[in-house]
Amino acid sequence: MATGDRDRVAEQSQGATTERSASRVLSGVAVAITLLVLSPLAWLVLRAGEMDTARAIELLTSQTTIEVTANTIVLVGSVTLLSALVGVPLAILTVQTDLPFRRFWTVTSALPLVVPSYIGAFAFVSAFGPQGHLSDLLAPLGVEQIPAIYGLPGATLVLTLFTYPYIFLTTRAALLSFDGTIVEAARSLNHTRWEAFKRVTLPQILPGIAGGGLLVALYTLGDFGTPSIMKYDVFTRMIFNEFGARRIDYAAVLSWLLLAMAVVVLAIESRIEAGRDGAYVSRGARRPGEIKLGVWKLPATLFCGAVATLGLALPIAILLQWLVRGGVGYSDAGRPFQLGFAWNSLTVAAAAAAVSVVVALPLAYLAARGDSRVSSLPDRLSYVGYAVPGVVLGLALVFLSLKYVPFVYNTVFLLVFAYVVRFMPQAVGTTKSSLLQVDPSYVEAARSLGYPPLTAFRKVVLPLVAPGIAAGGALVFLTTMKELPATLMLRPLGFETFVTYIWRVQESGYYGQAAVPALVLVVVSGLSMLVILGREQQNGA
Amino acid sequence: MMEHNTDDDDRSDRDRTRPSSRRGFLAASSTLAASALAGCTDMLPGGGGETSGSELSVGDFRGSGPLVEQRSAPEGTSIDDLPDLSGELTMYLGGGESGLYLDLVDLLEQIYPDFDVSPQQDSASNLANRISVENNAGNTPADVFMAVDAGALGSVAQDGNAASMSSEVTDPVRDAFKDSEGRWVGFAGRARAIPYNTNELSASDVPSTVAAFPETSAFGDSFGWAPSYSAFQSFVTAMRVIEDDETTRQWLQSMQDLGVTTYDNEFAVSNRVADGEISAGFANHYYSLRVQSDRSSAPIDLAFTEGDAGALVNVSGAQILDGTENKELAENFLRHVLSAEAQEFFATRTYAYPMISGVEPVGGLPTIDELNPPDIDLGELSDLGGTVDMLREVGVL
Repeated sequence: MATGDRDRVAEQSQGATTERSASRVLSGVAVAITLLVLSPLAWLVLRAGEMDTARAIELLTSQTTIEVTANTIVLVGSVTLLSALVGVPLAILTVQTDLPFRRFWTVTSALPLVVPSYIGAFAFVSAFGPQGHLSDLLAPLGVEQIPAIYGLPGATLVLTLFTYPYIFLTTRAALLSFDGTIVEAARSLNHTRWEAFKRVTLPQILPGIAGGGLLVALYTLGDFGTPSIMKYDVFTRMIFNEFGARRIDYAAVLSWLLLAMAVVVLAIESRIEAGRDGAYVSRGARRPGEIKLGVWKLPATLFCGAVATLGLALPIAILLQWLVRGGVGYSDAGRPFQLGFAWNSLTVAAAAAAVSVVVALPLAYLAARGDSRVSSLPDRLSYVGYAVPGVVLGLALVFLSLKYVPFVYNTVFLLVFAYVVRFMPQAVGTTKSSLLQVDPSYVEAARSLGYPPLTAFRKVVLPLVAPGIAAGGALVFLTTMKELPATLMLRPLGFETFVTYIWRVQESGYYGQAAVPALVLVVVSGLSMLVILGREQQNGA
Repeated sequence: MMEHNTDDDDRSDRDRTRPSSRRGFLAASSTLAASALAGCTDMLPGGGGETSGSELSVGDFRGSGPLVEQRSAPEGTSIDDLPDLSGELTMYLGGGESGLYLDLVDLLEQIYPDFDVSPQQDSASNLANRISVENNAGNTPADVFMAVDAGALGSVAQDGNAASMSSEVTDPVRDAFKDSEGRWVGFAGRARAIPYNTNELSASDVPSTVAAFPETSAFGDSFGWAPSYSAFQSFVTAMRVIEDDETTRQWLQSMQDLGVTTYDNEFAVSNRVADGEISAGFANHYYSLRVQSDRSSAPIDLAFTEGDAGALVNVSGAQILDGTENKELAENFLRHVLSAEAQEFFATRTYAYPMISGVEPVGGLPTIDELNPPDIDLGELSDLGGTVDMLREVGVL
């Protein structure tokens, strides 16, 4: 990033001291926030430490552990790759081409993110599983058997369908913000479209792709529901089984392995981002000329349609079908859904979003404006929380809160804190990319007019990055809305939300009763997606 | 230990016609249901001793539907004969299926305006872990833990986190379904069973011991189980206790060789049996009743093995947590859970086996005595660790 700019600032003797102390305060705040969000890991240290070292080594080097580790790596890799192969073309199609109904496809391509992946996986099995709706439809046509969807292919497909929007969104943001004149220049130098893309566009949007890919990879690493439904053995399933057998120390040791894998993912993404010089920064004054799709218009539309059908229409259709078929199994219904549950969901999700954007700001600012790799460390480390399985985080906070701050136990404060630990990294990402687009000379100008650092930030930077902050908040909001395991563990007594209700009725087999809350959940989260896309319009205008 | 004869005398005078075979009962029960008059449940007279006091009758506790019709009034201690409930209880409720139990809590709160329960629902193992972690850090805020799995209760008891209940609470329940020191008591039974597809198999195709399953060619590539489900793990643990580790490991291995399909839970196993995706599987008994209640023409029936781990009867149970300040209220609450009305609730709404002798299981389900479950202490099933290891070694998990 523009170290030259920073040097220039430092060279100005006037105000250099306040500048330095302000940045020291900023670093201090960022470190404090990072320590706080990583504090739940302290419990993992304690519990893992209780395990006999020899047993721990035996567990970590067992055949199963090695196999499951390999499975997990393969799944994370394939989901991330496939998500890029779906998300990047969709982003390019909806930003740079004359695709018909571009706004419509933009919305449908982003929306699968609001579908909880456990509902998506369930829908997938109902549709494509053996004896599913598809095989019912095909049976009269003489198709006896459809390919098995369980295992790696199924898990990859389902996770991709519901997480690729991360890459879609970050790639769009990168495409919308970069300077189109560069591409035009490349084209005028007789580069083909492909070469221009490869040599000019791709390097520019690569950090964006990597940023989205990071979220996809970490989500895949920490998700339990989908691999379980798709019958593919990964780390989370192993941890879940240990908890099921009530061997907390085993689960803690395995959780460390999972977190180590998260750190590897972060390191890989950091390397890609290290080459980001110039990326984001040139806020495009003009967009590149629209690519004419020509004969590719139909295939491109079909591609968008196919992804929207699988990722959005299918789960919604299955939910509607639950609704029509009604509840099954017991002679009576359980406690009915109450509006208060929805209100609970909305308020905790809004609170989590609000807190997340506030604490994300210092981390993002330090990472975007800092002059060394060290300054982006707090930002990097905060991502670890995103990969911690909800059950692990839940038990960690049960212990730590009861031990040290018992008055927050069984309150919404603890629940919101858990959401912040898990989902704040999403806000850090969008805030940072917005900050990178702000020309540092604006701040210098404000400073030279005599504004103290905080005031300069508030008057100049904040208005420019507000859309990015809002987008981050919206992402936190919609992921909080669908979070289940930590919610079950940490909600106050008698506190029900959309997901805890859906969990309860679904576990009891009342799919009919789960349908309406699940649909409302998808619609409400879908509305928050408009905030994210609305921010783009402002940026891309 | 299991005392099969305890209730025999008590029962003999009320024994009704049942299918003499332990097989094919679902078919029998639906014939029975078809000939029954519909919609009479609400008009049933109250059961034993139900007179005044509460405004609710047995009909409020009882479920409805074809499996529930033609029942006699439940017998046992009536809620009317128990002290009033008054005060607040914090209750951990383990297992998503236990959501139904909240309906019972609602009914009790309706009867006693001064009684208030704050429930916290999660999976049984999560809550058992949570109680352990809470006591590790200080003191659990929960007074009562109700769970769909006795193993979870057993592990809490073994950690020293459960209080002993007075015999007043546990007396109505036979020894096999409670802790010998009163640290947990069963309130609803769940029998291991073999749901099979009646288009694919007949009752005689299902062997009477699980040991014979691997050699049963009819099950080849057409059998299902849900090894991550706690009830299945309890069954394997029971096999390890009754037989030994080596036999169990070999059995698991040969089941693998048979080509077993893995499912997420046993409701899925039962549904897939009804669909014909598999011809048979391992599941708790009530899942098949639910499948049948949902789709009355589903070609599914239940078989039971005899005297081995495959015939295990596990329980949903409750315990009072150590350190509670509401022990008296908690005990009185559990006496209500074991009342005639509440037992009728579990029998007719969750299709569970009642835990008191005055209430019958639904439909044509064989009684626990007819089932011939293995002689085993359910408390011994709390150690699932070795089972998970074994399932993993063999490659089942």
